[in-house]
Amino acid sequence: MQETELHDLSDDADYAASQQQGSSSMMRTDSIKRSSSNEPDGAEIVYSKDNVAIHPTQFVSERISGRLKLIKQGSSLFMTWLPYKEQNSNAKQIEKDRNLYTIKAVPFTEVRSIRKHAPPLGWQYVIIVLSSGLAFPPFYFYNGGVRQFLATIKQHVFLVRSAEDASVFLVNDFENPLQRTFSSLELPRVVSVASGQSTPISVDESLLKENQERINGYESSSISQYNGRQRQKVHDPARDISIQVLEKFSLVTKFARETTSQLFRDGHSNGFGAFEKMFDSQPAQDDLHKASNDAERVTDEIAVASDPLEFDKLSLVWGKPRQPPLGSEEITYSDLLKRFGSAGKVNGNVILWATFLDNEGRVMDSEALRKRIFYGGVEHELRREVWGLLLGYYAYDSTYAEREYLRTIKKSEYETIKHQWQSISPEQARRFTKFRERKGLIDKDVVRTDRAFTFYDGDDNPNVNLLRDTLLTYSFYNFDLGYCQGMSDLMSPILFVMEDESESFWCFVQLMERLGPNFNRDQSGMHSQLFALSKLVELLDSPLHNYFKQNDCLNYFFCFRWLLIQFKREFEYEETMRLWEVLWTHYLSEHLHLYVCVAVLKRYRRKIMREQMDFDTLLKFINELSGRINLDAILRDAEALCICAGENGAANIPPGTPPSLPIDSGLFYSQQEDEVL
Amino acid sequence: MASRRRMLLKVIILGDSGVGKTSLMNQYVNRKFSNQYKATIGADFLTKEVQFEDRLFTLQIWDTAGQERFQSLGVAFYRGADCCVLVYDVNVMKSFDNLNNWREEFLIQASPSDPENFPFVVLGNKIDVDGGNSRVVSEKKAKAWCASKGNIPYFETSAKEGFNVEAAFQCIAKNALKNEPEEEVYLPDTIDVGGGQQQRSSGCEC
Repeated sequence: MQETELHDLSDDADYAASQQQGSSSMMRTDSIKRSSSNEPDGAEIVYSKDNVAIHPTQFVSERISGRLKLIKQGSSLFMTWLPYKEQNSNAKQIEKDRNLYTIKAVPFTEVRSIRKHAPPLGWQYVIIVLSSGLAFPPFYFYNGGVRQFLATIKQHVFLVRSAEDASVFLVNDFENPLQRTFSSLELPRVVSVASGQSTPISVDESLLKENQERINGYESSSISQYNGRQRQKVHDPARDISIQVLEKFSLVTKFARETTSQLFRDGHSNGFGAFEKMFDSQPAQDDLHKASNDAERVTDEIAVASDPLEFDKLSLVWGKPRQPPLGSEEITYSDLLKRFGSAGKVNGNVILWATFLDNEGRVMDSEALRKRIFYGGVEHELRREVWGLLLGYYAYDSTYAEREYLRTIKKSEYETIKHQWQSISPEQARRFTKFRERKGLIDKDVVRTDRAFTFYDGDDNPNVNLLRDTLLTYSFYNFDLGYCQGMSDLMSPILFVMEDESESFWCFVQLMERLGPNFNRDQSGMHSQLFALSKLVELLDSPLHNYFKQNDCLNYFFCFRWLLIQFKREFEYEETMRLWEVLWTHYLSEHLHLYVCVAVLKRYRRKIMREQMDFDTLLKFINELSGRINLDAILRDAEALCICAGENGAANIPPGTPPSLPIDSGLFYSQQEDEVL
Repeated sequence: MASRRRMLLKVIILGDSGVGKTSLMNQYVNRKFSNQYKATIGADFLTKEVQFEDRLFTLQIWDTAGQERFQSLGVAFYRGADCCVLVYDVNVMKSFDNLNNWREEFLIQASPSDPENFPFVVLGNKIDVDGGNSRVVSEKKAKAWCASKGNIPYFETSAKEGFNVEAAFQCIAKNALKNEPEEEVYLPDTIDVGGGQQQRSSGCEC
């Protein structure tokens, strides 16, 4: 694999071209500007291309054209992109964008990779990814010249084609030993870039101020490209600075988001794995967590048995930091809103999401995707598709087209089932007690499900009717199970996410394949989970277990609500959705939710034991935790506990404890169809 | 006075889903009504300090899920109850018909020492709905059933309007107090703990 990365240059036209062209390549660029008045002494323009544009939005009128240049100063290579000044530009927004996107001398030491796209129709473009993992918006070469661009870079910095994706070229990739040896030949050049010339060439004071943070960031990380890479592996305050810097860049990448969401579907890559690296190397910062524990550690006369697995120690070992949700890694919503005022332009970043899909929409590595979601959830606009996958409604290896087809088929199936109860006449209903009761129960529950949440609020809200229809249809689809309180809580976020009646229904069906036993008449599903929970606490915190035993709390009924509806009542709506998608990944364990329970109990163990809570007090205390649990901290703890418990933990969970996955999830879809038909 | 232990009286509210158990509890304890209560999952309780015959008590009122399917949880929640409140919706016949099931289920699960004399109170709720025009269970019918079950005190209430809620809970508290076993009542000397069936309903307006 390492060898491929090395050899695989000659077969690429761009590289071949660069070998032949050599230094003459610059002569062939169509608009070379060698104006010494514009550039400081010692700087040489080695590449200049006009009509290289970015497309901040889908609107043609908002496209910004400019000139892309590669500038060599000493042995350093920089890239600049300056938008053309437009005489008659009266649109302030465009003007602001113009300034925003101006790229003033980015050194190639900061560039991680370049992705080249040559769509059969339309302009060629490149996406430049910084070593931090953030990206500039795509540059469209209206007049061609991508090949020359890459060839020129190749002459001045170390450029290697990614072994994983032929359309990605890695810049200064010294990660593997072979390459390191190889690159040592070129290293002096690179090192001098970093140590000698850390400031951008265009030393414009006002620019410097404007970009102060950006430049600081460059300086802090430009000591040596090689060292820089090494440093990413350990905690380094300088990296925090660069993260701040990159937050500034998030505006830029936001555009990349919008404009590449479509484009990225024509290719796939993991060449953007820098995201993962960046976040993986970030140390767990659990100060909040510690603080809350400290706060609880107030002096008290009652001695509390110490925790065999204290989180303070644990989280140093386990518990990877949460990441931003999939699809939003480089930007926060508040940033966007600050920048754009309204959410109107905010939709649609699927950069990272798209990298998990092949060009027909199949998830290439479901394990990697589940892992990614486990560590940070999903950006809301991606949920519709991702939830369908996580819940098994869509197969991971289904294509866009297959999913579309499935939706069509399932929609008509849904309508058929729905029609079954819709066609019950009042006369028939009068003689159909079970139907009336069931409908009555659902009617009562939907009007008191999440009515404070905008999606369901107000009188005559049509979404409340959708909630009723989907639940009533489910009670016909699964007549044996019927409707049970708690189901409306589970359906509500699904309907909110899917925004489609049939889709919601089928996703709920899938969820109930896992959680249906929670609602069994004999409560067997709940009892097995409560039992498993008690075993896990015994394993992971025996003093707490003994306390519960002594205080007649071993039935764990105080955790009933948590388990029945997957913590739906314990978190804010958005948090619930995030928790659910994390649980649904089944990444570390199918039963992560049980470890979440243990994590919460452990977090309050001192309080519980110190105050000698009896069953009633404990139940009240647990109920009142609603809205006060720090989701990220608890997920970290749950992960740590899950890893810590390992096989012992799994062995303590009886087989068939919800949510048990189907034996072969690959067959799920076809089984589903059989059941319906 | 200060050395007196405050007595805890445990009250369980039962009844079909949506008859207004949560609302009654909140109206009594917090004097508030909301249209936005969620279906109760599992169980919860509120407490209220009540003064009775010059003594303070803590009334612990348990609100439970109304769906039959959750009844098996009752074992954990019903134990140690001092009074059981059975609630139905005067506009829903089925909820009235189910009172008997709820009563029997409670007696099985709570297994009080003296089931024959365990204190129940019945509340016919939602009398405000549609100005009473949608009512399907008459007061007479309800009272007849209460009489047949050993003179259970009966109240008609509106948790929404706050109507008769205070009175009903005073009766509930009083009956809960009477149920306290003798050994618990070592503190005061003024409480009549020997009250039997006849006395139980005597203090209530029923």
